[in-house]
Amino acid sequence: MSKPYILLVEDNADDIELTQRAFAKNHIANEVVVMRDGAAAAEFLFDENRVRARSMPALILLDLSLPKVSGLELLQKIRANAATKLLPTVILTSSKQEEDLVEGYRLGVNSYVRKPVDFNEFVEAVRQVGLYWLVLNEPPPPAGGGGM
Amino acid sequence: MADSTLRPDLSLVLERITDGFFALDAQWRIAYINAQARKLLHAPVDPIGTFWLDVFPNARGRLFEREYHRAMRDQRPVQFVEYSVTAQLWLEVKAYPSADGLSVYFRDVTPRIEAQREVERTRRRQQALIDFGRSALAGTTYDRMLADAIELLREILEASVVDVYHYDRLAGTFSIVCSAGWDEGVALDPARPPLDHVAAAVRTGEPFVSSDLRIDPRARALAQLERSGVLSCVATVIGTTQAPHGAIVVYHAQTRTFSVGDVRFAQALSQSIAEFSSAMESNRLMTQVLESMADAFVAVDADLCITYVNQRMAEYWAQTQSEMIGLPLSTFTGTLPHGAYVLKQYKEALRDRRPLTFETEHLGRWHETRLYPFGAGVAGYVRDITARKTEQDRVLGLNVELERRVEERTKQLEAANKELESFSYSVSHDLRAPLRAIDGFSQALLEDYGDGFDDRARSYLDRVRRAAQRMADLIDALLKLAKVARTPIGFSNVDISATASAAVAELRDGEPDRTVEVRIEPGLTASGEPHLLHIVLANLLGNAWKFTRHTPHPQVRVGKNGEGEFYVADNGAGFDAAYAHKLFGAFARLHSGDEYEGTGIGLATVARIIHRHGGSLRAEGAIENGATFYFTLPEVET
Repeated sequence: MSKPYILLVEDNADDIELTQRAFAKNHIANEVVVMRDGAAAAEFLFDENRVRARSMPALILLDLSLPKVSGLELLQKIRANAATKLLPTVILTSSKQEEDLVEGYRLGVNSYVRKPVDFNEFVEAVRQVGLYWLVLNEPPPPAGGGGM
Repeated sequence: MADSTLRPDLSLVLERITDGFFALDAQWRIAYINAQARKLLHAPVDPIGTFWLDVFPNARGRLFEREYHRAMRDQRPVQFVEYSVTAQLWLEVKAYPSADGLSVYFRDVTPRIEAQREVERTRRRQQALIDFGRSALAGTTYDRMLADAIELLREILEASVVDVYHYDRLAGTFSIVCSAGWDEGVALDPARPPLDHVAAAVRTGEPFVSSDLRIDPRARALAQLERSGVLSCVATVIGTTQAPHGAIVVYHAQTRTFSVGDVRFAQALSQSIAEFSSAMESNRLMTQVLESMADAFVAVDADLCITYVNQRMAEYWAQTQSEMIGLPLSTFTGTLPHGAYVLKQYKEALRDRRPLTFETEHLGRWHETRLYPFGAGVAGYVRDITARKTEQDRVLGLNVELERRVEERTKQLEAANKELESFSYSVSHDLRAPLRAIDGFSQALLEDYGDGFDDRARSYLDRVRRAAQRMADLIDALLKLAKVARTPIGFSNVDISATASAAVAELRDGEPDRTVEVRIEPGLTASGEPHLLHIVLANLLGNAWKFTRHTPHPQVRVGKNGEGEFYVADNGAGFDAAYAHKLFGAFARLHSGDEYEGTGIGLATVARIIHRHGGSLRAEGAIENGATFYFTLPEVET
């Protein structure tokens, strides 16, 4: 099994760049796979081969405002699918609308982090998320496939 | 002659009998007359041998003469009753003829005849009273009734003159209303009639009766009457002594002994007049009321025949009042499309003997009919309520329209809110991303290429980043303001003192190094949305905190004044009162950002929250002399 990787679902190129820069600044070396819309992310996650190979991301960072399939819709699909339902998923978004918070938690998101405008704060947020979910947190056992 | 041949014993008998007796010879001369006859007929001392009509001149041409001649002619006895003017008595006469002459026996039957006549008069008086009452009941005018009464008095009491007086109770004066007979041999100045007898009758309530005014001691003042040729009179009051309407006075040209029946008849007639005039007066008042009413009025009897309609009702049916009276109600209801319904209502009111009200519509006019059982029938009041109905309809229509518009507005508002929500969403999400990019890449530029920058270039980049941060703050504040507008207000009891304390605690946590003297009045309460009221106090106290930053001994007070206004007061920088009105607009700031940071949206948010609670907000302050914000909130319901 390959090194745990991060799935970043984000359509804004600037945010992608800044997020990757934040990872780099925090010396998080895990691979970051970027999906630019919800539909592409779903296709990636629910790909049969990937499911069979159990090569699921260690952490999903999910923006909410996405083309095609929105972040919350994608979250709903992730939680509805046996292969992905236990994956640590963190909403990383500009919005702190109450509705989004409520709906995110209702759909079973593990954490909800608002992206600060201040880049230094943003770097700090990414650092803490990475540290927590990739180091401190015990991931769920791999799901799906026949290898159990 | 026969009288001289009468045996002394027979003569003795004839002298003793109580009957009057006289005998005439074949030549109609008095042959004999007994003492009784002499007395009753006022015969001269010695009438024997004198022609009988010379002795009894009053008998000439009367029944006496005719009957005696008939007896002699037919040679058959006759019997009759006749009034003797000489004797002033009713005499029953029996005359027996013979070849020698006529024997006449007579006796006084006055009491019997008078009794018979009184019986007859009583019967006639009663009949007259009944007829009078009947004609009054059948509907008559007051004048007509008085004329009838006068006629009856003249006939029954054989009166020469009858006067009817009206009594003016306020002025205490009499005036003649009606009079008859003065031109028939008696002459009285009707303009100045003597009134003592009339006044006496009215004052005492007893009839004033005088059989002979010449010898009546009360009648001295009535000498004028006597001169007018009046010798006797009866005056009776119309009405009662308590409420006299007037009087009727009956005069006779002769002396007359009025029987009790005569006087009672006059009294009864006066009483009838009084009753009918009272009844007529109430009737007249009732009619006036009915005629002056705005309602159309109809009265029907138990057979639903019209007994009265007022002018308005008659006008509605384009009839005269008299044309309608007596006709069945159905004659008119029958022409209405809803006539059967109307008739049914009248029948119900009649049957159940209870009032009822119903509304009808015909040819665009609405009518309300109120029915009241009345006597044996029903009285109906019909009112045109078209205006009221139209108004009702208009109000109903307005309500419907209002509801429709409220619904429309609500929908519009909901749509606007939805739009605002998605707008807010875009703002919060999409506007922040570029800001983050500005900040992030400025930082990246500094980090990656900062070695080549001089201090000024670094400072510029700092400014870029600060501006981005400030814009992010503004966006957050605006979102909060928008959220306040959308939060539904659920009123509950809020402990304002505790809320203020909590807000102060947050401020102290934020700046633990500052020392601010805070006094919060205990026990302040209001009704409102707790979360929003927290925002209010956090904002106002936050401002107080902020603007006392450069004050040597910062003080903040929270309380409630005598007018029931809550206040948050500080002794800080204050503001120029001239600009107080600008305080509560979004982005309005009275201090530069260099002096005191802020978005200028806090007070706008406070104002919106207070207004949404139905309260008001105002500010007082002076430069460097502190600021006080006053606001009102609904009171806690007990």
